Amino acid sequence: MNDIITSAIKKGQKALSEYDSKRIIQSLGIAITREDLALKEEDAVVFAEQYGYPVVLKGCSHTLTHKTEFGMVKLNLKNSAEVRKAYQEIVSAGLNLDGVLVQEMIKGDREFVMGLSRDPQFGPCVMFGMGGIYTEIMKDVSFRIAPITRDDAAEMLEEIRMKELLDEFRGSPAVERDTLINALVAIGNLGFNNDEIAEIDINPVIICGNKPVVVDALVILNTTSD
Amino acid sequence: MNISSLEPFFNPSSVAVIGASNSPFNLGGTICNTLKTCEKLRENIYAVNTKGEDVHGCPGYTSIKDIPAPVELAIIIVAAKAVPAIVHEIAEKGTRNIIIESAGFSEMGEEGKTMQAEINKTIRDHNIRVMGPNCLGVLNSHKRFCCFYGAQEHTFDRVYQNPGSISYVIQSGGLGVLILESFATDIVNVNKLVSIGNKTDVDEADMIDYFSQDETEVIGMFLENVTEGRRMMEAARKCTKPILIYKSGRTSEGARAAMSHTAGMANNDRIFNAACRQSGIIRLKTIDELHSMPKMFTSMPLLKGKNIAVITNSGAFGGIIADLFAEAGLSMVRLKPETQEKLSKTGKLFNTGNPVDIGPAILPETFLKIYEILLQADEVDGLLPIPSVWQEFIINTIVELQKMCNHYQKPAATYTPNAVWKTLDIRSKYLVPIFQSPEEAVRALQISYFQHLSLQKKLSINSGAACSAN
Repeated sequence: MNDIITSAIKKGQKALSEYDSKRIIQSLGIAITREDLALKEEDAVVFAEQYGYPVVLKGCSHTLTHKTEFGMVKLNLKNSAEVRKAYQEIVSAGLNLDGVLVQEMIKGDREFVMGLSRDPQFGPCVMFGMGGIYTEIMKDVSFRIAPITRDDAAEMLEEIRMKELLDEFRGSPAVERDTLINALVAIGNLGFNNDEIAEIDINPVIICGNKPVVVDALVILNTTSD
Repeated sequence: MNISSLEPFFNPSSVAVIGASNSPFNLGGTICNTLKTCEKLRENIYAVNTKGEDVHGCPGYTSIKDIPAPVELAIIIVAAKAVPAIVHEIAEKGTRNIIIESAGFSEMGEEGKTMQAEINKTIRDHNIRVMGPNCLGVLNSHKRFCCFYGAQEHTFDRVYQNPGSISYVIQSGGLGVLILESFATDIVNVNKLVSIGNKTDVDEADMIDYFSQDETEVIGMFLENVTEGRRMMEAARKCTKPILIYKSGRTSEGARAAMSHTAGMANNDRIFNAACRQSGIIRLKTIDELHSMPKMFTSMPLLKGKNIAVITNSGAFGGIIADLFAEAGLSMVRLKPETQEKLSKTGKLFNTGNPVDIGPAILPETFLKIYEILLQADEVDGLLPIPSVWQEFIINTIVELQKMCNHYQKPAATYTPNAVWKTLDIRSKYLVPIFQSPEEAVRALQISYFQHLSLQKKLSINSGAACSAN
């Protein structure tokens, strides 16, 4: 994990790509989407066939912090033809990419967000809340100063206004709270022990059945420290 | 933290006021006057000014170094640009505590910041503790010691008449005086009050450490900013006394330009809230709570559960209180049949369920019986009595109730639905904890319960730490 961060800092990157960000998140024991980085169209099809359709293709680069706005996210691709077409559209946009990220498409109605920020007075802080594209409109989030205990994490889940979405909901089972709690504790420790990491967005975390799966993540590096 | 380095701020044996003179409107001169109410100091107050003149009977010198006796505490109130050199002289004199009341430092831009940095270097080199700059300093009501500028001789008589165990840290001096004045309408027995200004050295974490070790029972704070968040949390975690903080700047967004959405939502209000939750600090909602809430801790035991019994002689309050409980996370206790049975034997009650409706006319003995039955009931964690004070004896029952609460170790937050002046009158005459609205009473119960829960958490963590150390 440290290799990813060290080499990114050496290269002067301000952030990690989605692929690298998620490898960091995965190393904390948090489930992420099955995914791989395709460097050729043919590989993209091979990965897609492995995961089963539908899949998602995303342009992958550490400079791409707003993928959707650049048309770099292709959702719900149902067969190899659609994968090939999406691949060509992404690479022909003329952006400098590490490759094209092929990932399984996770289905679930409930989306949460987890994150890390640094406060000038209190240092690294962990966040949990309602995720998805309306996160910043809803601002239904709760924070704790890292490192946090399991009790702190459990309180964070209870503090959001829409906490009932963590319970049984429209035929879906209650969310695995322990998994979320472990993840929040791990994110806190990561931020507390690694000054190189400035901020983290993990959004959305989609609840698949009752299991939280990280679908997108962004690690911002601290470029001011030596 | 070793708090002995702070003691001379609160109880010095000698003080020099640098910048005290006889010119009209001189602020230093008012400090000399105010200091004279402190018995211990009377002969040991010195004035330092350019002419070396005596001020209000305090011997005058042109430099602190000329004072022929040791000076334990130096107070500076001169123009900012002269302060760094004066701090040097004080260091040479051997004085180790300084209160810088002058303004014009880090709050006034780059030049001020540079001067503050120069002061910091001197105080570090000489192990000096500094309060301020840009502050009023200290009031210690037990010693009748106060170094606020601009006060008159009798300004603090009221505070000194009822010294107590509530200590305050008020960052801004002006607000400190306003808060002191608000005490006049409430029962706030002050131990110490400090205004710490720009906090170049002594900050909120130091003050929590200090007040957790002196005779203080409750700590109240008004903060505009936090110097070192983690130190404050550490100090609060170790402190078993209630810490009540009102912090301004709730809506301002974090100063850092944020790249992530997480950082975009991390405004300092959310972060400060989190810090309070984690370190057991009670975050106040209004400035008024700084004077209305401490009495719940100084006069009543902590609330150890959520189940409250309400006693009223007007049924309407039941609904109001039930709504407030729901918001506060408390509950209207369901009284057991045996408790209701006992209640019904006390007389002609309108309702023996909760709220217990005692009807309009009731004898004092009956009042007390009802209180005792409820305090004895296992299902009840605390009381919210709403007696209308229509007869003098009602006041006596409130006084008695306080004793009972301490006996049964369950609190009561009493609200008397009378004209405000009557409530204030009773409160100041009998020194009984009465709240001015149903909201205040419910809030008092809520924060009492929060303090109980944080205390449990702190004690278990601290004992855990002790075990792992063995």
